[in-house]
Amino acid sequence: MAERIIMPKQGLQMTEGTILEWLVPEGGAVTEGQPLFKMETDKLTITIDAPVSGTLLKIVKEEGETVPITETIAIVGAPGEDVSALLADAAPEAPDPGAPPPQPVPEKAQQVSATGAPGQRKFITPRARMRAEELRVGYESIAGSAPDGTIIERDILQAAAAAPRATPLAKKTADISGVPLEGVVGTGARGKVVRQDVLHAAARKPAPAAGERDLQPMRGMRKIIADRMKASLDVTAQASHRISVRMDKVREAREALDKSVGYNDLIAFATVRALMDYPQMNAELTDEGIWRKNFVNLGIAVALEDGLIVPVVHGAESMTLHMLSEQAAALARKAREGQLLPEEYAGGTFTLSNLGMFGLDEFEAIINPPEAGILAVGRIADMPVAVDGRVEIHPVMKLTLSYDHRLVDGAPAAQFLARVKEYLENPYKLL
Amino acid sequence: MSIKTYAVAIRDVLAQEMRRDQNVFLMGEDIAEQGGIFGCTRDLLQEFGDKRVRNTPISENTFVGAGVGAASVGMRPVVELMYMDFLYLAMDQILNQAAKMRYMFGGKVKVPLVVRGQQGIGRGNAGQHSQSVESLLMHIPGLKVVCPSTPADAAGLLRTAIRDDNPVVFIEHKALYATKGEVPDDPEFSVPFGKSNVVREGKDVTIVGNYLYLGKALEAADLLEKEGISAEVIDPRTLVPLDTDTIVESVRKTGRLVTVHEAHRTMGFGTEIAAQVTEKAFKYLDAPPARVGAKMCTLPFNLGLENAVVPQVADIVEAAKSVLYRM
Repeated sequence: MAERIIMPKQGLQMTEGTILEWLVPEGGAVTEGQPLFKMETDKLTITIDAPVSGTLLKIVKEEGETVPITETIAIVGAPGEDVSALLADAAPEAPDPGAPPPQPVPEKAQQVSATGAPGQRKFITPRARMRAEELRVGYESIAGSAPDGTIIERDILQAAAAAPRATPLAKKTADISGVPLEGVVGTGARGKVVRQDVLHAAARKPAPAAGERDLQPMRGMRKIIADRMKASLDVTAQASHRISVRMDKVREAREALDKSVGYNDLIAFATVRALMDYPQMNAELTDEGIWRKNFVNLGIAVALEDGLIVPVVHGAESMTLHMLSEQAAALARKAREGQLLPEEYAGGTFTLSNLGMFGLDEFEAIINPPEAGILAVGRIADMPVAVDGRVEIHPVMKLTLSYDHRLVDGAPAAQFLARVKEYLENPYKLL
Repeated sequence: MSIKTYAVAIRDVLAQEMRRDQNVFLMGEDIAEQGGIFGCTRDLLQEFGDKRVRNTPISENTFVGAGVGAASVGMRPVVELMYMDFLYLAMDQILNQAAKMRYMFGGKVKVPLVVRGQQGIGRGNAGQHSQSVESLLMHIPGLKVVCPSTPADAAGLLRTAIRDDNPVVFIEHKALYATKGEVPDDPEFSVPFGKSNVVREGKDVTIVGNYLYLGKALEAADLLEKEGISAEVIDPRTLVPLDTDTIVESVRKTGRLVTVHEAHRTMGFGTEIAAQVTEKAFKYLDAPPARVGAKMCTLPFNLGLENAVVPQVADIVEAAKSVLYRM
């Protein structure tokens, strides 16, 4: 019996999603738990696994279409099944209660489902399964050559012969270095590809031919970031303040805490306290007016391999330093692993972005709407500082605050930034 | 080695064993002066006399019973049934007496009885003279069931049967009596029970068959070879005891099993072999075992119709291709 695939709801705030790519063509085999399509929500690109197995009978929503949650995007069933009834249901109009009942499923399809539905199950003979295990051939994607698509030994042997023979270490090396095994000439026993072959191939990866450009698709997270940053500069009135902070006391405080917290945790903690002191910086422009929030959901930007994401520590104003530290670390880890839930990167009131680890002295960040500001943190470096008419060397960090001048003026923004500095230079004031 | 027919191979072993052991004697219909209707006891009367080569009336239950009695007191009778179909008249003696006595008397009695005779198609002998009885007998504990397909096996297995201390039903095939083959002259030559014979080696499909269907399986293997299919052909030789190990070992190699026999397909011995192979080599199977056997129909008198009921070489080829998904 055919089943509808719907736009899944990924997280509390999701109302619609955009289909980026169908990973199975129409008419292709769908396996439960295997990737079916890629979609993007308001922040993340997610690969969605198929909830059922069968044949992808119909793609209802094409790539690029934005679809409200729970709407039908595709139909999966047994080959040849009549999907017109389900397609009618998939139409955006609410079904007419007076409409005639859906067409009965053709008898053949009913028999199929009653006997275990070849379209939904992958059959493999015991011998083929044994051989697949021996040869470490994954048979999920192999098309069986016996009746009902049953996979037999021959299919496994052919698949094994087609796959490049390589040692496990060579396979892993190829994975890491991004060298396709297909093109590697093996020098091991009977032409087996060994690690050295992969390294060799990786070293002489040919340069792209003239005119051949390395194009990255502008979609998914990249596109979302682009849209948001441009929208931010289009809408907000961005201005910035800079300040230098002596970090001697923070360093001492951190050492007193046995380095159980990072500099960034202390900076975040100071920022949260300063935001509570200056709620103008912790505000949002709504249709009704400027909403100064009495809570802080602190976003902490995390760089990813191919983008960035800002997990949000919710309710940071009521956290101890250690709670904040632990929360931030947990969220950063999830962000890097791509495990963040949508709620965990939404609802921020202010953002902290630290690029000090890249050696930057200072930098300017773009506000993440609808927030009113973002604090860019540079590295902590020993710098000459004038103290009582003498030059001394002290650890210094530079902070750059970008703020939305529509909501907050230069003076309160400056006071906020000075308050952050004050807390960091006198950490006991955070007590 | 001598070239002998299947019938002469049997007669020679009877003679050799009668010379060797005074307790061996023969009973049956028309076995003395006539030498049996297929010549399996020809000239034995002259050498061994009418006390050891005894004609009987047409009374199968009685003379098989006499054989059971003689065996139980130390003789080694070889009782001939003119047609194995007549075994059904002697079923009580064979199933209820011969097969059970040693067990039910606590091992104090042995029944070294051989009941031998011919069965099968090939002469247009109709429904009461052409049947295959081996599968029925396999179901009875206490009986050994022997099915020689060649002159050498007939000789070697008959010697083992006569020297066995338990009742053996030795089933010959009427259409094989005239076939010739090499038979060792050694009067001690024997073929052990429970040892299958790999008659032809192959790697793609295992075909198990006996009697006429050993030859037909070999013919099928030749035809399959022309299509690039390499068939292994195995003759089980004895059905009780059955050497499944050799068959299982073959199926582990080929992944496919076809059983073929002249007996009816339903509950034929191929069914038992298919079941045992499935139990012992399930994960080696690349296709369900295929069974080839006679249709569920009384064997017709007309030879053309007889052929329509029993399997043909083409049926074996088709079954082998079906388990190779080469239809």
